Amino acid sequence: MVRLLSTSLVVAGLCLVNVSTGLVSTASARELPADPLNSVMWKNMAERFFPGEHVVIDQRVIVDIPIEVEDQMQLPVTVDATELSDVIEIIALADLNPIPHILTVRPLKAQPFIGFRVKVEQSTPIRVGVLTSDGVWHVNGVNVNAAGGGCTAPANAHSNSQWYKTLGQARAITKRETADSARLAMRLRHPMDTGLAPGIPVFYMNQLQVRSATGEALADVELFEPVSENPTLTLKPLVEDGESELLVYARDTEGNEFEYPLTVPAEVDN
Amino acid sequence: MTSVSRRTLLKLFAGASTCAVCGNVHANRLSYDLAATEIASGTWAVHGKTEYFTLENGGNIVNVAFVEVPDGVVVIDTGPSKRYGEALAALIEKTLPGKPVLRVYNTHHHPDHFLGNQGFDRAVLATSQGVIDNIAAEGDGFTDNMYRLVGDWMRGTSSVAPGKALEAASEDIGGRRFSLSYLNGHTSADLVIRDDETGVVFTGDLAFLNRAPTTPHADIQAWQTSLAQLDQMDRELFLPGHGKIDKSNESLQQTSDYLDWLSSTIKQAASRGYTMNEAMSTAIPARFASLDVVDQEYQRSVVHLYLQMEDELMPIIEPK
Repeated sequence: MVRLLSTSLVVAGLCLVNVSTGLVSTASARELPADPLNSVMWKNMAERFFPGEHVVIDQRVIVDIPIEVEDQMQLPVTVDATELSDVIEIIALADLNPIPHILTVRPLKAQPFIGFRVKVEQSTPIRVGVLTSDGVWHVNGVNVNAAGGGCTAPANAHSNSQWYKTLGQARAITKRETADSARLAMRLRHPMDTGLAPGIPVFYMNQLQVRSATGEALADVELFEPVSENPTLTLKPLVEDGESELLVYARDTEGNEFEYPLTVPAEVDN
Repeated sequence: MTSVSRRTLLKLFAGASTCAVCGNVHANRLSYDLAATEIASGTWAVHGKTEYFTLENGGNIVNVAFVEVPDGVVVIDTGPSKRYGEALAALIEKTLPGKPVLRVYNTHHHPDHFLGNQGFDRAVLATSQGVIDNIAAEGDGFTDNMYRLVGDWMRGTSSVAPGKALEAASEDIGGRRFSLSYLNGHTSADLVIRDDETGVVFTGDLAFLNRAPTTPHADIQAWQTSLAQLDQMDRELFLPGHGKIDKSNESLQQTSDYLDWLSSTIKQAASRGYTMNEAMSTAIPARFASLDVVDQEYQRSVVHLYLQMEDELMPIIEPK
């Protein structure tokens, strides 16, 4: 497991220079820091997922992952960006997955923290970008060592022909961790089919929102194909004093909608 | 120089340099150098390192054993690769020249215990139907993963399941009686072999000593039941699957104690809604800190056991 030091490190960028027909052009380039993970996909990932002017490598984005992948269908990842303020968005990527985008979280009224599990197709960087309100992407990650095949194997659900009858069944734990912050751990039954296993079309939970009792969105999660079967998310929404009600709304790519009412106890339990 | 003679010269150089690499570096590096230790009368253990699979150890992390019986030799487990199985067969021939191998048992289907089966005649390989089924289901996947983990040591290795399924409570092999116990817990099928003459019990991976237990197919409750059964056995000593011989019941107690701690620690984390990564950062208690590879095995165990603990401990919630 890697627990990265909480010191900020901004790596001086390399200017990307385009040489063609004798002219030096910097038209499409911006300053990208060198990739500490040495990934061949770094430039491509940054262009696709971290738009804007500023990308920094930042150890304050704590990406907690075991380096040796024991189960390529269920690699656990915990992202803690609570040392950064004004976080707008957290994006998690697996550079070398056939579909690299794992999920995007907008912690609207929540701590910038998420736990999830991901399928990996091969050894790959797992990369996290955190966008703060000043327009800076704070990027960090880990290279993991994995056996192959996590994204192209059929989900376990398909070993049972009646799998769809349990779609959307859920388990959850809610706790109040501090006076105004809860922990929500939730597992939803869904095959999360990537469309890459032979004969099984793409079908996954693509949206999950944690709402307050009044319907205000607290955390917004967009999920993509690499999220593990039976997606298990851990979030830390901010909550009012006293016993608080939450509502989790989820939707999949076939338009199935699910809503789960949850209660956060009044007492702090940490 | 003509083009023909230049080609000849190039070939000559290529041949020379290849030979130098092959002859010295490779041959030295990829030899298991197995050694037999006599642990009881006519009973030898071949102890592996108490590590995890690496490119350096070639998967030699396991205990295998062989027993001299009146008419031949009985072997318990065959190691992680074809190369290991062949080295084991050669070691047996060197230790007991001219004695035929009459029976090879596989205690369970984990790769370090049966991927050396190619070193022996398939007709003498035997285990329970459960182990045979597990090898059929997962053997090829294990083999692929072992190539990834230990590399060229695996060359030529493929998964070979024993053809003979055992059911009897005991059998006579070459003039010696062996008791067979069909237990489970470390995997869904764990075969325990007791030599009725010497009282040596070959536990397979139901027992570990001073090396952290592994749990990829574990049912902890069933495992604890099996450990209690092992403790009831009339025996002279245990040979654990990993670690030194045990003349008391230290390996059983240590394995049981560790499994208890593991199970309660992971339950505690899952019941509090921790992520697997948070659960992995739990400190290992001092009494287990000296177990070899405990940090690595604890993290692997979190992955193995977490989903099942969540099934038990995360309350079901009803949709609106």
